[in-house]
Amino acid sequence: MTLLDVAGLDAGYGDLQVLTDVDLHVDDGEYVTVVGPNGAGKSTAMKSVFGLADRFDGTITLAGDDITSLPPEDVIHEGISYVPQTDNVFPSLTVEENLRLGAYILDEVPQDRLNAVFERFPVLEDRLGETAGALSGGQQQMLGMGCALMLDPDLLLLDEPSAGLAPDLVDDMFDRIDDVNDAGTSILMVEQNAREALRRCDRGYVLAQGENRYEGPGEQLLHDEEVRQQFLGG
Amino acid sequence: MGLVQNVVFGLVQGSYIAIAAIGFTMIYGIVNMINFAYGEYLTIGAFVGVLAAGVLPLPVAALVAMVGAGAASIALAKLFFTPINETGPVPMLLTSIGLGLVLRNVIRLGAGRSARYYDTESATYEFAGVPEVPVGSVDLLGNFFVTSRMLVVVGCAVAVFAILHALLTRTDVGIAMRAMSDSEDLARVRGIDTQMIRNSVWVLAGVLAGLAGVLLGIQTNVSVTTGFSQILQILAAAILGGAGSPYGAIAGSYVIGLVVALSTAFLPADMTGLSSAVAFLVLVVVLLVKPSGIAGEEVREA
Repeated sequence: MTLLDVAGLDAGYGDLQVLTDVDLHVDDGEYVTVVGPNGAGKSTAMKSVFGLADRFDGTITLAGDDITSLPPEDVIHEGISYVPQTDNVFPSLTVEENLRLGAYILDEVPQDRLNAVFERFPVLEDRLGETAGALSGGQQQMLGMGCALMLDPDLLLLDEPSAGLAPDLVDDMFDRIDDVNDAGTSILMVEQNAREALRRCDRGYVLAQGENRYEGPGEQLLHDEEVRQQFLGG
Repeated sequence: MGLVQNVVFGLVQGSYIAIAAIGFTMIYGIVNMINFAYGEYLTIGAFVGVLAAGVLPLPVAALVAMVGAGAASIALAKLFFTPINETGPVPMLLTSIGLGLVLRNVIRLGAGRSARYYDTESATYEFAGVPEVPVGSVDLLGNFFVTSRMLVVVGCAVAVFAILHALLTRTDVGIAMRAMSDSEDLARVRGIDTQMIRNSVWVLAGVLAGLAGVLLGIQTNVSVTTGFSQILQILAAAILGGAGSPYGAIAGSYVIGLVVALSTAFLPADMTGLSSAVAFLVLVVVLLVKPSGIAGEEVREA
């Protein structure tokens, strides 16, 4: 069943149109990645779904509900969580406060989910009282994801989770994302590291200049001659 | 007068600047504007307090003043600032300068030019027999006194700091305020109703301005320029502490208060008019050494 459906989306910022007629969908439990060159509009697609970019035309539905015009503070109530590429934690707040805000829309912090986050990212429990700004890049990325998981979302949007990570941490991050997906959360991920992303995902999209170019199972795109030539450096 | 006495004066002055500067810096950090009309919020609080004190006991009158200034703050924000929230800091700053001018003149029309006084009893506690340690013309210890009014000012400030700290670290609204001053977009992604938080900040800043106004009024008098005469020191304290940081504003306020008091006392008599200039000199020097202020985060490249 289709969980997220983006149809004919035109979006951008103010007078600047970035996306033209973009179609994307994510099925229940599916792991979907969007790859493409810099400036292709990958992040804008994420921001559009979450209400942080201006949507000019097209529709976005989640499990059949129209969320096209919702602002972020309402989208979060629909069962989607979003981990932005940068600024995905509050640097002056402690790790504990960041996790607490992950569950801001709930009446109280769900202890079982907090424990699940600690189980997934033990380093967060060790550094609970430290400010998020004092964490390393990789730890901040884990905290950002931990905050998003506090709501046990149906769909997790990840914007470049490997960006800024030391090379030896990248694999570890992708493994953790696999784990989240295995636990039943659908994933829509934008990645600069196209080969790894396509290798891991169920299905991929190639976006260029704000438009859909290719779509298909990850392995198929990975071995497609045209995609390799144009987007994966041969 | 010796050094100790002037330190006492500095702590008192730092205390009411701090109460006001917390509100000022939170507006800066969360609403993202410099509110030059903020001094008038102190004046409003001082006048509401002095009127209420005519019929009510002083502590109750002070509460009335805090509620009045808080209500004035949110009402003015809804009328003048919230509608132009998207236009950026400069139009909002200019609007606040204009609003301050209008408010001062409205208050002058309504209240006249003469000063009013809080009718309070004040006990004075003398500490005599402190040895004098003269170094040149400066006495490094010396006899000093404190009044019960001074103790009330400092006590209120300490109570405000404790309550504020609890608010900012224990409540969802307070944590959300700090989160918003880090990143408004991420706050929205977390589901925080940013307009509600901005409104809360307006109310809180107004309440603090009201209290600072009453304390200033008790310490000196209440006139149309009660708050306006403090705005530059409040601004300096907030920037010195690291604009947007309430904790930094507290530190900055005491630095400013002490510098003003000490320079008034120890500069040659014909230079005492320069004491607020000295406060700004300190500001400039600190910002040269640490551009983000005392408690400010270092600006990092993205």
